[in-house]
Amino acid sequence: MNPAVHMDGITKRFPGVVANDDVDLAVERGSVHALLGENGAGKTTLMNVLYGLYEPTEGTVFLDGEPQSFRSPRDAIDAGVGMIHQHFMLVDPMTVWENVVLGNEPKTWGGLRVDREAAREAVVDLSERYGFDVDPDARIEDVSVGVQQRVEILKALYRGADVLILDEPTAVLTPQEVEDLYGVFEELTDQGKTIIFISHKLGEALSAADEITVLRDGVNVGTVASEDVTREELAEMMVGREVLMEPATTPQEPGERVLEATDVRAEDDRGVEAVSGISFEVRAGEVFGIAGVDGNGQSQLVEAITGMREPTDGSITYLGEPMAGESRREHIDRGMAFIPEDRQERGLVMSYDLTENGILGSQHDPPFAEGGRLDWRASRDHAESVIEQYDVRPPNADAEAESLSGGNQQKFIVGREFERDPELVVAMHPTRGVDIGSTEFLHDRLLELRAEGKAVLLVSSKLDEVQGLSDRLAVIHDGEFTGVVDPATVTEEEIGLLMAGETLDGDSVEGAAVHDAVGEAEAAGTDDGDAGVDA
Amino acid sequence: MRNPLADVSIPVLDDLVESDYVRSLIVGTVGVLGALLVLGTLFPDSVAGDLSGIVFSTSTAASTARLAAPIVLAGLGGIFAEKSGVINIGLEGLLIISAFASVYVASVVGIGNAVLGVPAIWVGFLAGIAASTALAAVFGIVCIEFKADQIIAGLAVWLIALGLAPFMSTVFFGGVNTPNLGARVSWRYSAVMVVVATLASWWALNRTAFGKHLRAAGENPKALDTVGVSVSKVRHAGVLLSGVLSGVGGSALALSIGQFVGSGETMVQGKGFIAIVAYLFGNYNPLGTLGAGVLFAGLDAIQIRLQQLGYAIPDTLVQTIPYVVVILVLALVGRTRLPEAAGEHYETED
Repeated sequence: MNPAVHMDGITKRFPGVVANDDVDLAVERGSVHALLGENGAGKTTLMNVLYGLYEPTEGTVFLDGEPQSFRSPRDAIDAGVGMIHQHFMLVDPMTVWENVVLGNEPKTWGGLRVDREAAREAVVDLSERYGFDVDPDARIEDVSVGVQQRVEILKALYRGADVLILDEPTAVLTPQEVEDLYGVFEELTDQGKTIIFISHKLGEALSAADEITVLRDGVNVGTVASEDVTREELAEMMVGREVLMEPATTPQEPGERVLEATDVRAEDDRGVEAVSGISFEVRAGEVFGIAGVDGNGQSQLVEAITGMREPTDGSITYLGEPMAGESRREHIDRGMAFIPEDRQERGLVMSYDLTENGILGSQHDPPFAEGGRLDWRASRDHAESVIEQYDVRPPNADAEAESLSGGNQQKFIVGREFERDPELVVAMHPTRGVDIGSTEFLHDRLLELRAEGKAVLLVSSKLDEVQGLSDRLAVIHDGEFTGVVDPATVTEEEIGLLMAGETLDGDSVEGAAVHDAVGEAEAAGTDDGDAGVDA
Repeated sequence: MRNPLADVSIPVLDDLVESDYVRSLIVGTVGVLGALLVLGTLFPDSVAGDLSGIVFSTSTAASTARLAAPIVLAGLGGIFAEKSGVINIGLEGLLIISAFASVYVASVVGIGNAVLGVPAIWVGFLAGIAASTALAAVFGIVCIEFKADQIIAGLAVWLIALGLAPFMSTVFFGGVNTPNLGARVSWRYSAVMVVVATLASWWALNRTAFGKHLRAAGENPKALDTVGVSVSKVRHAGVLLSGVLSGVGGSALALSIGQFVGSGETMVQGKGFIAIVAYLFGNYNPLGTLGAGVLFAGLDAIQIRLQQLGYAIPDTLVQTIPYVVVILVLALVGRTRLPEAAGEHYETED
């Protein structure tokens, strides 16, 4: 029997670049296939060929053994290929059913009326058939991201898709929603649908896919069954060399106290208390890690420490002086480097070039500022040195920040912050969205800083990252530390319990919510090791 | 802020109007008029008596219909354009150009003559629609194909019409005001056109596939593009409809008097801008726009009558009411929500 999808010798050249070089891909009907690779490996290009967005330079696409030549996504849709983009293509104020039928509305009265009853019924039928829990009359803006994704899948199914392509489907989901999505995959494949999903997360490919194809630099490195392969082997296929999944730390005697927080309380933007009395200290030559499911007060705590949010109570002492309520500039001037969680929102000005971005935060200081004017030559030299040391690509100080990939933006921010010669680095999700090779590099740099006797406060939702790098590890839940543990001896299960709000001696901090939270923490636990974007 | 009127339940209305806000507007207006009628009947010699005498007179109804037609029709047109993602603030210009063109063509044909059996005045009416639609088409091409700033292009439409219409009038008739045709379109036609256009617009926006596409083009054009519907076609359609409807409004305004007045702000006198206020006030619902348009026009008509009865109400004060009301509504109720992608250009990828 012919495979549902067979891409034969696909080559796609763009001016100056070969995005796909003689790639073969075969996907059996009713299976889940992961397309794995680092950023820029050619995954999305290959899928855009399958979806009719690009015509291949060479090679042929076969569906069920029939050769196809798609000129537009319309052709692909007609042939039964549906694509679920990473950024959903939904109209927020319209209802679920309106979105599903958009562009293909059933009509009555000679086309003068949309047949709402028929449309609703079609949507209800589809969601019942595949076990989706979706209210057809809910507005898109009122439903969760997980449900929105299901609406996108329904849209593809409504148009008769047999092959579903999902681009980074878990990037925007919570761990619980990721589990639900895997359930949806099973329902779909049980009924003969074929799924291809793009990912750069190893764990996700291993747990959701039947087969995995790894792309590197536009070439198919190999297709493997997910049962027969280990995480390390996959990482090596992706990067092309052996990857140390565990960063090597050496024990080190911590020095003097750099940052001390005592009973800090802070509110979120809605005025609800998000940090409820947290105390800790970070010493020189130490990495202090904070782990937890996103949204448990990490953001507000970090904002309070870095001077971006005034704490409602408690004290923050930095290098022996009280800092709470001091301006952001004061924090920077005293040598506190900060890698923010949202690089596009707070880390960079997207429309500035790298020279301009490179002096953000140092714009008042020599050598960049000189009697009221900026020294662009010095700024440019600085940007170029960051670009070189941190391997930012493309190596062009005149490139605008928005033209860089997420991983390269992150490398540039990390480089800029580390080059301030800080006493304390506050790093929030420093490797989010960064490929495996660069992640390893950034981890090494963090450890080098530690070896130089700097203090590091590391906040991350990737468990292996905080566990592997930290000397001491705190777990945050609902604005409080549920425990501070030794990352060398603690088990993943124990951290999972702490993340769910329980303490290690068995008491529940929050009885009712524990069950769900444990599920989430476990999902986060199995998800670690991924060098990709988290929820 | 809880709106108590939103809870008043009226079976037919609930079915027709989905928005609580628009429903409460309608209930409120009917309520005020009802109270006025009761008070006016009980105390015929009081101010309420005078007022109710004015409000419920045929001549007030006639001048309300005459004044409301351009506001409501241009407002409906504005909804179509803005829902599709193109903010058309040139409605005023479309009204001016159609007002002039209708009178000009009617006078060229000559009252008493007919073209293909259509009397001159109605030939003029159609010409007004054509002129407005043509100007809207230019506006659409400039905004959608050449990606001009919609606000600046809209202002240009207004300024071009504001300059062109009186100029043409001077060229053809020797003055900024045209002579009176000596024939007019009855206000009853205006009233019928307003009601029919309102209902048809409501249906088109809420019940047809085109309405869904229009909304998607204004909210998330990419979503529409990926399901294979051309965003620029939908937007052109929205802008052209704003031209057609404004054309009906402008022709109705001028031909209900039989003359184009081109001095100062011309006879349109900011009705195109009040139309924008009306559809924002009506929260993009044609029924709400009708209500708001009739309210604004009615206040203006009542004001004129009150002056005649000797009440000294400054007309400039009454004319500010729509603007004050819209600021209050936007600030206090805050229900009006612009389409997400309104004012943004859309470029197809790849």
